[in-house]
Amino acid sequence: MSDAALGAAGTTTGESRPKGRALRGIPAGVRCASPVALFMALGFLAPLLTVIGFAFAEPRTFTVFDSFTLENFAEIFDPADTVWMSFAWSLALALLTVVLLLFVCYPIAYGLVRVFGRWSSLVSIAFVFPLFISENVRLYGWTLFFINHGVLDGLLAQLGLPGPDVLFTPAITLFGMVYTYLPFMLFPMTLGLSMVPADLVEAARDFGASRTMIWREIELPLAMPGILIGALLTFVLAAGAVAEAKILGGQSVIMISHDIEIAFTYSQNWPRGAALAVLLMLVIGGLSMAVMARLDLDRILGRR
Amino acid sequence: MDAARNRRSHGLIWIWTLFVALVIYLPVACGALAGLSKGRYFLFPIRAFSFEWWEKTLDSLEIQRIVQTSILIALIVTLVSLAIAFFGALAFARYDWRGRRLYQKLLLLPIFFPQPVLGLALLLWFNALGIQPSWHTAIVAHLVWIVPVVTLVIAIQVYGFDPAMEEAAADLGAGRWMILKDVTLPILWPGIWSGALFAFLLSWGNFPLSLYTAGADSTIPKWLYSKMVAGYTPMVPALGTMSTLAAATLLLLGGAIAGFVRKRRAN
Amino acid sequence: MNMTFTQQAETPPAAGSAADAGADPALPVLQLVGVSKRFDGFTAVDDISLDIREGEFLTIVGPSGSGKTTLLRMLAGLEQPSSGNITLRGTLINDLPARARPTCLVFQSLALFPHMSVGRNIEFPLKAKGVAAAARRARALELLKMVRLPEDYYGKNVMKCSGGERQRVALARAFAYDPDVLFFDEPLSALDYKLKKLLEKELKDLHKESGKTFVYITHSLEEAMVMSDRIGVMRAGKLVQVGSPEAIYGAPANRFVAEFVGEVNVFPVSRGDGGWVIGETGEPVRVALPEQMAGARQAAVVVRPEYMRFLEAPGDADNVVRGTVYNEYSLGSRMQYQIRSKHRVFLVEMSRAQTRAGDGKGEVLIGWNAEDAIVVEA
Repeated sequence: MSDAALGAAGTTTGESRPKGRALRGIPAGVRCASPVALFMALGFLAPLLTVIGFAFAEPRTFTVFDSFTLENFAEIFDPADTVWMSFAWSLALALLTVVLLLFVCYPIAYGLVRVFGRWSSLVSIAFVFPLFISENVRLYGWTLFFINHGVLDGLLAQLGLPGPDVLFTPAITLFGMVYTYLPFMLFPMTLGLSMVPADLVEAARDFGASRTMIWREIELPLAMPGILIGALLTFVLAAGAVAEAKILGGQSVIMISHDIEIAFTYSQNWPRGAALAVLLMLVIGGLSMAVMARLDLDRILGRR
Repeated sequence: MDAARNRRSHGLIWIWTLFVALVIYLPVACGALAGLSKGRYFLFPIRAFSFEWWEKTLDSLEIQRIVQTSILIALIVTLVSLAIAFFGALAFARYDWRGRRLYQKLLLLPIFFPQPVLGLALLLWFNALGIQPSWHTAIVAHLVWIVPVVTLVIAIQVYGFDPAMEEAAADLGAGRWMILKDVTLPILWPGIWSGALFAFLLSWGNFPLSLYTAGADSTIPKWLYSKMVAGYTPMVPALGTMSTLAAATLLLLGGAIAGFVRKRRAN
Repeated sequence: MNMTFTQQAETPPAAGSAADAGADPALPVLQLVGVSKRFDGFTAVDDISLDIREGEFLTIVGPSGSGKTTLLRMLAGLEQPSSGNITLRGTLINDLPARARPTCLVFQSLALFPHMSVGRNIEFPLKAKGVAAAARRARALELLKMVRLPEDYYGKNVMKCSGGERQRVALARAFAYDPDVLFFDEPLSALDYKLKKLLEKELKDLHKESGKTFVYITHSLEEAMVMSDRIGVMRAGKLVQVGSPEAIYGAPANRFVAEFVGEVNVFPVSRGDGGWVIGETGEPVRVALPEQMAGARQAAVVVRPEYMRFLEAPGDADNVVRGTVYNEYSLGSRMQYQIRSKHRVFLVEMSRAQTRAGDGKGEVLIGWNAEDAIVVEA
C-alpha cells in the first residue's frame, strides 16, 4: 500500500528516500496512530491508573503507590455504608434513561433516515446544537421553567390552576437525564437505521411482510449495531451523571458521581473516592468492552 | 391505502420530532427570557424587559476575563486536536495495520466515559505529577475527550476517501508535500472543517471537565455553575444566553463558509 | 501450438548495467524475471516472467483474484515484488517509487481529483514537474483535443462530467505525464456496453498514434481481443499463456484458457484399449491429437459452439451425438442452441443466415469433425 499521506510513496525505497530512514520499517498506520496513542496513554490511561492506585492507598492519604490496602473497598461493601444506594440510583436511573430514550429517539431517527429528506440535515443540526451549550445552562433553563413563579407556574396561574411541584424529585432528575443525553442516543441510532438498505425493506414488503414483521425481521436486526452503541453510550454517560441531580433534583437523589466528588472534595478522602470510581469504571468498562467487542466499526462508520 | 397510512405515520413522525425539538429548546428560551427581564428576581409572566443584565454582564471585568480564557482554551484545543486527530483519523480509517481494530475501540473509550469521573481522575493525575491545576490543565482535560470525537468526525470523511487518489498523485510525479497539500487535505477538508467546529464548540460548552481541572481559573460554564449554586442572579441566564448565541453564530458561520467553498468548487 | 511464452533474454541484464539502452528496439521496455508478490501467507503473483515489448499493446486477462492488479501495481511502482526482478530498459527498478518511473497508471476508479476542474486535473503532473502555468494550460488544451473533449471543458468540474468524459480526462492526465508506458486497470469496466466499445477503439487508435507502450488489464477477454497485440492469461497468480489474440483463441494452452475465451463444449477424454473414449461414459470419440501430446493418455476436448453443426445424416461428421433441442438463445447475429443428449449438454451456434437441419424441438443430430476440436492437457 502506498502511504502517500505522509508522502512516503514507495517507502521501501532506501536509495530514493534518504530522509526518514529510521521510520522505514514502521507501517504508515502505526506512524499516524502514534500521536493519538501517546496522548491517550498520558491523558487517559495514566489518570485511570492513578485512580486505581489511589483506590488501594490508605484512607485519607494523598500519595499514590505508597501503601497498599483493601480497606477502602471493605468500607464501601460494609452494609453500614449507604453508598450502595447511590450506585443503585445511578444505575437504575441510567437504565430508565436508556429505555425512555429508545422510545423517544426511534421515530426521530427513522424520520431522519426515511422521512425528512432534504430537511434531514437541518433537523440533525437542531439536535446536535444543544451539545454545544453546557448542560448546566440548559438544566438551569428547566429550573426557570418549573420553579415557583417560573414559566410553567406563571402560565398555570394565569389560567387559575395551581402550580405543580415537580422540582427536586427523582422524577425530574430522570427527566433531566433523558433531556441531556438525547443526542447521544439519537445519532448512533440514526447511523444504525441508515445501514438498513431501503430496497431491502421494499423487497420484504413485496413478499407481503407486515409492518411489524419488517420491523422485527429486517429493520431492527440491521440497525442493531447503531442502537447498541446509542444505548451503551447513554447508559454509561447517565450512570456517571451528576449535574441533573444537583441542578434539577435538588439532591433528592444522590448519584454515585456525587459521592465520588464529595470524597475528593469536602471529605478529602481521595482513596475512598478513587475506590468508588474504580467500581463505577468496572461496570462501565466491562459493559463497553462487551458491547464493543461485537461491533465492526469500519462497517458502521464507513458503510463498507 | 398503504400510501395513506404512510402519509399519516410520516405526519406523526414530523409532529413528534418538532415537539421534541421544541422541548429541547424550551429551557434555552426560558434562560433568554430570564436574562432579559428587568428586576433582580425571575417572575413569569415577565412584567418588563430590559437589557440591564446584559449590560452588566458585558461590563463585568471578571466575565471579560473568563470569556477570554474560554476562547483561548477552545482555540488551543481546536488546533491541537486537529493536528493529532488528522493523523489519528488516517490510522483509524485509511490504513490497514495490525492493531487497528483495537486502536479504534480504545480510542472510543474516553467518549464512553462519564466526564465528571474523567475530570476527577485527571485531577488526581495532575496532582500525582505535581502540576498545579489551571486553565492549562483544562486544555489537556478537554483534549482527552475532544481528540477522540474529532478523530471520529474526520475518520468518517476518510472512509469515503479513495486511497487511489494519493497513489495516482504519486504516480503522476507529485512529492509528499504536494500530495498532502493538493490532494489529501483538500479532499478531506470538509471533515477537517467539521472537526474544527466540533472541537471549538465542545470545548466552549464543556462544564464537567473544566469544573475539576481548571483549578482557580474559570471558564464560562464553570463560572455559571458557581453562581447557580450561590443563588440567583439574572447575569447567569444572560451570560448563558450570550454563550449560546455565540456558539450558534459560530456554527452558522462555519456552515456558511463550508457551503461557500463547496459552491465555488462546484463551478 | 505455438506458444509465445516469454522469450527470456539469454542473460538478464545486471542491475544498473545498461546505462543507456533506450534506443535498442530489441530490448524489452519492461522485463519481469521470476517476480512474486506475497501478502501474509497468500501469494498474489507467483513467479511470473514476462517481456513487455517497446510500443506494444499488451493485455493481461484473468478472473478476479488472479493477481493481475497486483502485477500491474508492481509494474507501476505502487507495490514492491517480494522476489524476482523488474527491469526497465535493462535497469533494475524493483524499488523505484511510482513517481520516479516513466510509467503511468490509469486506475479502475480513474482517481480523478474531485476538487479540481478538468483542466487542473490534466495539469497536475505538469505542476509536479514545475511547468509554468501558461505552458501547463497550453498543454492541457492540446490534450483535451487529443482525447476529443471540447476546449471549454477546461474549467468544468470533473465530478459533473459523464462516465465517458471522465475516462477521457483520466487519459489526458496520464498523457500529460508523458510516460513511456501506460498501464490501465480495467478503466472501462463501469461503462455501458456501447460506450465501452467506442472507447476501446479510441484507445486502440491512441495507442497507434502515440507509439507508447500500453499494458492493459481486464477480466474480459472480449475487450482484450479487440485491442491487443498480445494477450497474457493469468490464473491464480500465474501467467498461463501469452500470445497473439489468434493464438489464445485458436490454440489455448489448456482447458482454463479455452474456457476463459468463451462458452465452449468441454469434456475429458481418455485413451482406452480400442481408442479414445469420453471420460465418464465411455462413448467412443475421434480425437486429433496434437504432436506434442502424442503420448498422452488423458486429455480434454474443447469444441467451440460455432464448430458444432446440425447434421442431416450420422455420417456427416466424425463425431455424432443424438439429442433434443432444449432451449435456443438469440445472440444477435447468431443463434445458440442448447442440445441435451443422454449424458451431457452441448452448445451449438450458427449464423442467423443459415437454417439448421431438423426443425422444431424434436430429436436432432449434431456433431463435429475431429480436426475442429482443440485438444488440451486435461
